[in-house]
Amino acid sequence: MGWQAFRISMEVTAVATVLVVIVGTAAGLLLARVRFPGIQLVEALFMLPLVLPPSVVGYYLLRFLGTGGPVEGLFGVNLVLTWGAAVLASAVVALPLMVQAARTAIRGVDPVLENAARTLGSSEAAVFFRVTLPLARRMLIAGAVLSAARALGEFGATLMVAGNIPGRTQTLPLFVYDAVYNHQYGTVNLVVGLLTGLGLVSFIVIGRLDPAHR
Amino acid sequence: MTERRLLVDIHRRLPSFTLDLQLEVGEEVLVLFGPSGSGKSMTLESIAGLVTPDRGEIVLDGRVLFRRGPGNAQIDMPARRRGVGYVFQSYALFPHLTVLGNVRYPLRGDPRARERALTLIDQMGMTQLVDRLPHQLSGGQQQRVAIARALARDPEVLLLDEPFSALDPGLRERLRTDLRALQLERRLIVICVTHNVEDAFALGDRLAVLRDGELEQVGTVGEVFHRPSSMSAAEVLGIRNIFHARVSSATADCVVLDWEGLRLHAPAQSCSPGEPVPVYVAPEDVKLLYPDRPVLGSLAANQLSARVMSIQNRHDIQIIRLLLDNGRELEARGASYFYRELDLHPGAPVLITLRQEGLRILREEDSG
Repeated sequence: MGWQAFRISMEVTAVATVLVVIVGTAAGLLLARVRFPGIQLVEALFMLPLVLPPSVVGYYLLRFLGTGGPVEGLFGVNLVLTWGAAVLASAVVALPLMVQAARTAIRGVDPVLENAARTLGSSEAAVFFRVTLPLARRMLIAGAVLSAARALGEFGATLMVAGNIPGRTQTLPLFVYDAVYNHQYGTVNLVVGLLTGLGLVSFIVIGRLDPAHR
Repeated sequence: MTERRLLVDIHRRLPSFTLDLQLEVGEEVLVLFGPSGSGKSMTLESIAGLVTPDRGEIVLDGRVLFRRGPGNAQIDMPARRRGVGYVFQSYALFPHLTVLGNVRYPLRGDPRARERALTLIDQMGMTQLVDRLPHQLSGGQQQRVAIARALARDPEVLLLDEPFSALDPGLRERLRTDLRALQLERRLIVICVTHNVEDAFALGDRLAVLRDGELEQVGTVGEVFHRPSSMSAAEVLGIRNIFHARVSSATADCVVLDWEGLRLHAPAQSCSPGEPVPVYVAPEDVKLLYPDRPVLGSLAANQLSARVMSIQNRHDIQIIRLLLDNGRELEARGASYFYRELDLHPGAPVLITLRQEGLRILREEDSG
């Protein structure tokens, strides 16, 4: 039963991380390179899941994905209590970390280099993929690792919006909750050890990506 | 072959400053000369398409790069299509790419990219360094890579922003000569921004003096330096500190100059005895001396007595105009605190010195 939760956690985390890296990098690029009125508000909105209680994030997601919400209105599907909802819950709480990392990473790239690329014939997309992205690479990877770790650890919002259905939406953190409740301490110790180890490894990886460490 | 021409007529208003300038440039080196904040870099950026003027027109050989104004359809060609090479002040080499990677960057999609990049690198004398990363290169080497990269797509126009500011004098001289050769060989329209008098003299066919966003004067280098059209142009050029002297003797370690009766020691530079030469001394190299303090090293040689004509305070800089015994004027500049205890006022007699290394004989490059 623990293996099922492990598999679901890995899948949810992988998909959520891909989403977060794409959306977070785009948002970071916007915040770092484009000036527009209300930029601070937009930035604050991206950061909000970092400080809101998981129950509040979960409630927003319920309204967004559930009966009468915009997703149902547009696509005719109710995602509540599905695997997709678990992915979104993980993604939303991890996004602020990626946005923050991406914004800092892209700000660290000298805009003169991007201008040089423009005078050398590069389109805006080519500037991003051939200059900005390679130069921001290390910090973006660090941001992705941190986001993945956060996505893996997501509990509260997932519980509210995806439920705790063994074999469908039960991820490792939810599994731990159930197992403690049922006094299965042997399994709990194993999973807790695993999650702690993964957390430690991610920070070691992030530390090694820091250019000061080379 | 008809001569290439670049027409620039741009207007751009910023809160603190307005750029308003008309220029016509042919196959030549035009030096854009002026103090920092005069709009030199913004002019280059406008031509390259990195900055958008409020109105005006930029036309290269009949091809409109930019046009905006009443009654005209607006054209603003993106930088990537303008065919304008740009050498940035910091060189802006891509730090994640090798020398070869940088030079072939603009040649993506060209099946002969590698070959062409290597040819250019070879022309720049950098063949042994193709696999180095920018941070493993000296300033002069970085500049060569930046020029090679800017030339890779065969632009008609090459813009250089303070290309020599980070280099030592010997290297500057060599790179100036190289740039000259490149211009002739490739029939380039070159616009080079500098605030260095020597660079302007050695490099330019013509000189455009810019101040507060407006052109003060455009003309051949000799014309502008010897007959500045306005006091303001002269001020920009620091022209007060150019004087005409005669070489008394020239040895391997020292040149002795005679400036209408004043004997001056300059560092060794190429010239022959008896030759009349224009000499420049930067206002920062004219120092006032405290009579009660010892004078050291290179300041000891050229001590002269003078009289203060006027004192101007600009921010933290003091600009002091001096009248010398031969009836000529020089300008001295220094931080305000330098001379605080000297009790300077118009008419005061002072002892000054011209830093020996600061005396430069100006040479106009033979453009033929």
